[in-house]
Formats: sequence, structure tokens, C-alpha cells
Amino acid sequence: MVVVKLKPFNEILKILNDYIRITVIGCEIGSGRCMQGGLREAKELAQFLKNNGKEIVDVLTLGGTCIVEKVKKISFKDTDVIVSLACGAGTQVISEEINKPVITGVSTLFIGSDSHKEVFKEYCIACGDCIISTTGSICPIARCPKSLRYGPCGGAINKMCEVNNNTECVWFTIDKKLNDIGKYFSFPEIDFSDYSFSNHPRRFKNEL
Amino acid sequence: MNFSKKLNNGKFIITAEIAPPRGIDTDKILKGIYPLKEYVDAFNITDNQRSMVRASSVVMSKVLLDNGFEPICQFTGRDRNRIGLQSDILGAGIFGIKNILVMTGDFPTLGDEQGAKPVFDVDSLQILKMVKLLQEGKLINGKELNGKPKFNIGAVFNPFAGPEHLQIAKLNKKVELGAKFIQTQPVYDIKTAKYAHEIIEQSGAVPIIGLLPINSLKMANFIKKLNPHSVPDSFLEKLSKAKDPYSYGWEYALNLAQSVTEFGRGIHFMLVGKTEDLAQFIDYLKNDSPYNHKF
Ligand code: SF4
Ligand code: SF4
Repeated sequence: MVVVKLKPFNEILKILNDYIRITVIGCEIGSGRCMQGGLREAKELAQFLKNNGKEIVDVLTLGGTCIVEKVKKISFKDTDVIVSLACGAGTQVISEEINKPVITGVSTLFIGSDSHKEVFKEYCIACGDCIISTTGSICPIARCPKSLRYGPCGGAINKMCEVNNNTECVWFTIDKKLNDIGKYFSFPEIDFSDYSFSNHPRRFKNEL
Repeated sequence: MNFSKKLNNGKFIITAEIAPPRGIDTDKILKGIYPLKEYVDAFNITDNQRSMVRASSVVMSKVLLDNGFEPICQFTGRDRNRIGLQSDILGAGIFGIKNILVMTGDFPTLGDEQGAKPVFDVDSLQILKMVKLLQEGKLINGKELNGKPKFNIGAVFNPFAGPEHLQIAKLNKKVELGAKFIQTQPVYDIKTAKYAHEIIEQSGAVPIIGLLPINSLKMANFIKKLNPHSVPDSFLEKLSKAKDPYSYGWEYALNLAQSVTEFGRGIHFMLVGKTEDLAQFIDYLKNDSPYNHKF
């Protein structure tokens, strides 16, 4: 899932300065799942804005916001501005499809996991050339700060990562998983990664 | 006898580490290490160590060369991508720098420019492969070089890091890719020094054991925080009781250095401290110690 973080309501209010009539959109996929920008948070934000002199035209969700056909179908006729709590992708789809000002109420953090809606961890940086089948399907590209694909650095002390010492070094996580399934990491031929796979903006044409 | 020869003929090696200036004044540093000129075989010149800006390691290495010192120029993958690194390594070749040391590098958030963009396009193994290709006369994209460099290549090993079998496999890969000597992270007891020595020797490279004299309780605690099992409790206890912790820390490191001369191939002082005392100590090792024949 895409993990987002709600901006402080005061900050959102400040960006809205002259706009009066506001529609707030929550997204039930990533933003809702991490309780930072679903319909519930959209309603809370709307109430706050109302208490601060704004007029709320509508509070809604489309389920998923990054789906172009869905966004095209809604009209925002009496609205001065749309506040979107969807991730960066969803918010941009609204802005491209609707001829109105759009501002975001969240910052998009990463693609990650969800532990009881309390802890969200980055698991994939969409490198474009997935290698995790060789690392027990635990990703060192996203989960090692240095993206080390050929084994741990010399800072992996006491199982912890030298960069964040409250996080396990991902090479210990990989090693444990491989051990548990009776495999071991065999060093492949050292090669240079192809970062052109992740040069943005990327585009993917589904040819199926 | 120079560093290159000693690497090949089994003589005991002493290296020391210095950082380029934060600024452009190199005189103070040169003056500081002058007493060590005849005693230290080569000086590691760090590459923005601990992610803090210093002058270029390549340029500082050239300054050392011009002043009659033997530099080991360090390169990390933290600040330059494969384009920048190949360019600077060729630059080191033009300057006549003969020794380089390669590592992945510390993360920027550990230093004093925490907002800097981390590069890590290539890690230590990939830089070693890059240097191998350059020495064969090619860029990593296969293009032919006009004149190829030749280096004594070094890399690093931390005996405290894990998982152990992966660290050892990675060390072996480094040696396979051309690392001739391996310097270790600082060790504080003879058992770890021996362990590191053996593992590195088995890999086929020359082991050079890292020593970082601890000069205060504050420094000891800092190192303990980075690496909890490296500093023995008995040392810490004595250090905290010592009247002069600076001298106690130095003597401890020098004792360890002397023990390494019994079985080892080299030591690396990661801090030069009072250079005259260090020179005197090395003089003793080379001339009067029971293992003087190894030098
Ligand atoms: S290797 Fe990691 S970052 Fe790349 S696609 Fe796979 S999971 Fe994502
Ligand atoms: S300690 Fe592990 S996760 Fe952290 S930077 Fe080193 S290899 Fe990567």
C-alpha cells in the first residue's frame, strides 16, 4: 500500500487562504488504510475548516482516487477548491481531470506494510528491476538505507542497522528467512545496477 | 622499503590515518605528521569521513606525495556516482597516487550534512570491480582508456559486524576483485585482532589491524555506543580510574600494537595523537622489540 501522512490542519488552512467553498476528498485505499486520509479524516478536516470559517460543499470518497474514469465522473460545481487526502498520484489525477484548484492535505511517504495500523514500514522503492527472489523475498534495495544488494556493510553490528539503530539490518532479516527455508545467499557475479529503470517520470504500457 | 614492496614481501606494515583539512591549509597537517615520515609506511587520506566535509582526498593525497609521504587515497560510494568515481580514480592515477582504499561509505545522516542526497550508486564491491576494469584499460561501459592506472588496492573488514558468514563471503569477494590489503575497524583486544588477522589471511589479502587509541572516557563511551562489544569492560574500568586517561588509552593501544607484531602483518593507527611519541614507539618496534626482524 501507499503510506501517507496527514499534514497539520493549521497548515492546510493556511494554504487555503482566500478559498471559501471547499470539497474534501478522502481516499479509502492507502490513505484510509493508514488512517491519515480516508473518509473519516476527510470529515474531521471538513469540521475543522468549517469551525474556521470555511464553507464545506461536500466530503466524499471515490474508494480509489487514482482511477481516471472514476474521477472524470464527478462534478464539483459549487466548489472553489478541492482538498485531496489521496496520495500524490490520486491528487494529481484529480488536478488533471478537474478544472479547479486542488491542494493536498497529505504528504506521500512510501510503499509499505501495515502492522495493525500502527506501524507502517517501507518495503519497496519501485526500483523497476525486482531482485528479491534471490534474497528470500525481503528487499535490500528498499530496506537497506544504502540499497546494498551484495551483502551487509560493516556497520551491521548486533543485528541492527548503523543508520537507524532501532531497525534490524535487513541483511539479518534476509539471512534469517533464507536459513528458515534451508537456503543461503550465494553471491552472484558483481554487476552494476541499472538505475535507468527508475528514472522518473516512468510510464508503463500494458500490452496484455 | 616502500609500502608496495612490503605488501609483497611479507614485511610488517604500519599505516596511519589522517583527514584532509576543513579548509585549504595543509601545512599544519604536514607539520603534524612530519615526525612520522620515516616510521609510517603509508597514510590513509580519508574521504569526507563520517559524512563531514573536508578537502578532497585525491588532492590531499597529491599534497602528501609532493612532500615525500606515501598516501593511500580513500574512495567511498556515498558522494559520487559511477561517472564521478571513475573520473576521480583516473585523476588519482594521473597524480601518480599508487594506493587506494575502497569502501561503501557512511550514511549522510550520521554526519553534519544530514539533508544531503545519499548517492550509493556503487558499493565497495562494485567500486572494486570498477577499479579492476580501469586497470585493465576499460571504463565500466567497455570504452577503451587512453593510458591505464595501476594501484595497490585496499578494502576494509569489520570483525564485529554480521551476519558473520556474509561478512566473510563479502571479504572474499573483495579480495577476488583485487583487494590486496585489508584494514580492519578498530579492535581493542588481542582475541579479536587474531580472529580478524586469520580471516583476512585466509582470504589471501594482507591483514592490517586497525587501532584507535582511546583518549578519554567520553570517546570510549562513543565507541561503545557504535560498537557495544568492541571495548572490553576491564579496559573501561581501568580507564575510568586512570589519573591520566589519555596516557592510559595510548599505552593500551601501543601494547596491543606490540602484540599484533608477534603474529600479524600490519597495524593501522586511526589516530596519530602525539606524533613524536608514536614515532618513538615505532622506532622501538623496529629496532629493539623482540619482533624487530619482521620490519
Ligand atoms: S527489488 Fe525491492 S525496490 Fe525493487 S521492485 Fe523489488 S521490492 Fe521493490
Ligand atoms: S547495517 Fe545493514 S541495513 Fe544498515 S546500511 Fe548496513 S547493510 Fe544496510
